[in-house]
Amino acid sequence: MARLKAGLPAWLAVIGMFVVWEGAVRVFGIREFLLPAPSAIFVATVGAWPNVLRHTMATLGTVMLGFAASVVISLPLAMLIASSRAISAAIYPLLVVTQSIPKVALAPILIVALGANELPRVIVTFLVAFFPLVVSSVAGLLATPPELVELGRACRAGRVQELLRIRLPFAVPFVFGGLKVAAALSVVGAVVAEFVGADAGLGYLIQTSMAFFRTPLAYGAVVILALMGILIFQAVTLIERILFPWSSGSEQSAPPSA
Amino acid sequence: MIRLDGVGKTFRGRDGAEVEALRDVSLNVAEGEFVAIVGASGCGKSTLLRLVAGLVGVSAGGVSLDGQAVTAPRAETAMVFQAATLLPWADVLRNVTFPLRLMGRMERDTEDKARALLATAGLAGFEGRLPRELSGGMQQRVAICRALLQEPRLLLMDEPFGALDALTREEMSIELLRLWAARRMGVLFVTHSIPEAVLLADRVVVMSPRPGRIVDVVEVALPRPRSFDQEGSDEFQRCARRIRAHIFGERAARAA
Ligand SMILES: Nc1ncnc2c1ncn2[C@@H]1O[C@H](COP(=O)(O)OP(=O)(O)OP(=O)(O)O)[C@@H](O)[C@H]1O
Ligand SMILES: [Mg+2]
Repeated sequence: MARLKAGLPAWLAVIGMFVVWEGAVRVFGIREFLLPAPSAIFVATVGAWPNVLRHTMATLGTVMLGFAASVVISLPLAMLIASSRAISAAIYPLLVVTQSIPKVALAPILIVALGANELPRVIVTFLVAFFPLVVSSVAGLLATPPELVELGRACRAGRVQELLRIRLPFAVPFVFGGLKVAAALSVVGAVVAEFVGADAGLGYLIQTSMAFFRTPLAYGAVVILALMGILIFQAVTLIERILFPWSSGSEQSAPPSA
Repeated sequence: MIRLDGVGKTFRGRDGAEVEALRDVSLNVAEGEFVAIVGASGCGKSTLLRLVAGLVGVSAGGVSLDGQAVTAPRAETAMVFQAATLLPWADVLRNVTFPLRLMGRMERDTEDKARALLATAGLAGFEGRLPRELSGGMQQRVAICRALLQEPRLLLMDEPFGALDALTREEMSIELLRLWAARRMGVLFVTHSIPEAVLLADRVVVMSPRPGRIVDVVEVALPRPRSFDQEGSDEFQRCARRIRAHIFGERAARAA
């Protein structure tokens, strides 16, 4: 109840924005293929619903697979990087290279190499999403206070124990910070991949709609993408709150005196 | 039990410059003895403790426990750091049992022992709290319980009350003496407070800086159990004056 109340201003702002938008389109008589009114977007989206739902599920699949791949690959990678200076010196430049390549440019190459299926789209999604997760996880693992590390050593912890029992738990808030960014970027990555090569998905729907000047439907797809991003972000936040209450709470309160 | 023989420690700084933290330190701590270490900041007290804990190696001389050279952290010693250094993600009970879990020494009654220990430290009912929900003094008590639960034969304490206010400090000193009296382990206790050192210890080791070395060892012949009422006694004053003379006499000499 309290949280609903806290979210009230945001909801009012969103509703207000739609009202102004609707009013402006009507008053100024803006043509639909330039800027459709919210009501037109709604009608178009509901009108094509089974189709829209199919595209939504296709995108959601790519997003989730890409996001899962980011998590599964980034966490061990981060632990590897944090555990050895030599490994970090070897891997980090490579990671930075993957980040400086524009993913839009990479997508067609991957599709030619791997075929027009789900795999290149998941890879593009992964490439867009994983980097911030690695960076923030490494930051968390290395930010572990030296006193805690020394406590571990005094308790005769080996390097693996130190990593798993001290550094990793300490890094959880950092990991979740990275997960939230990665969640949002996964949606971006999936749409980029769909623009380049797909026969389904919201990115594909936007492209084909615009080709036929069905602007309201394209807008509908954009709104659904935004909702998808918000929902995944909220899901990550919820998981953090349930599984790691000390992590989400520590954002507001003072840092632990360790 | 613990024996330091001509121990020296030299750190090499990042720029290659050498810092001699300790020179020719020799000291014995007997089974069940309470030894305090006082000295100006930077005279190597923490370094000495970390050498005994096996966290760093010596540059010269040797540290031995029961005649065995200390080269790595040992199960017989437990350390209380200056800050509480609790795990922010674990509740009080899991913090207290953390070392034993890490070392695979959990037994069926360990948790009950932990609860009992927390109760004696005035922390009954707080077992499920997170460290950030506790006051500084309570956190430090958790850290002390964590060390005691390991049932160490040698307890190393590096300014364990340094972060506490004067009132909590006095209360905690008395509490520590009570816990120590009940289980009689060797204690090496670093402090900046001369009265605290005299009140707690059988012997007070006075150190001087640059390089860190022992300048005097003061035997405290006050009867136990001790309390702050003894602060007015002649013996207390004699010990405190002697320690103070070493520390401030030197400072005055350096200033001249
Ligand atoms: N890891 C290290 N690397 C380099 N120099 C060190 C290191 N640890 C300690 N020193 C140096 O050794 C000397 C003694 O340090 P130490 O921490 O033992 O002093 P201390 O007596 O505990 O001081 P304080 O009372 O302020 O805690 C200092 O000059 C310090 O700069
Ligand atoms: Mg110190």
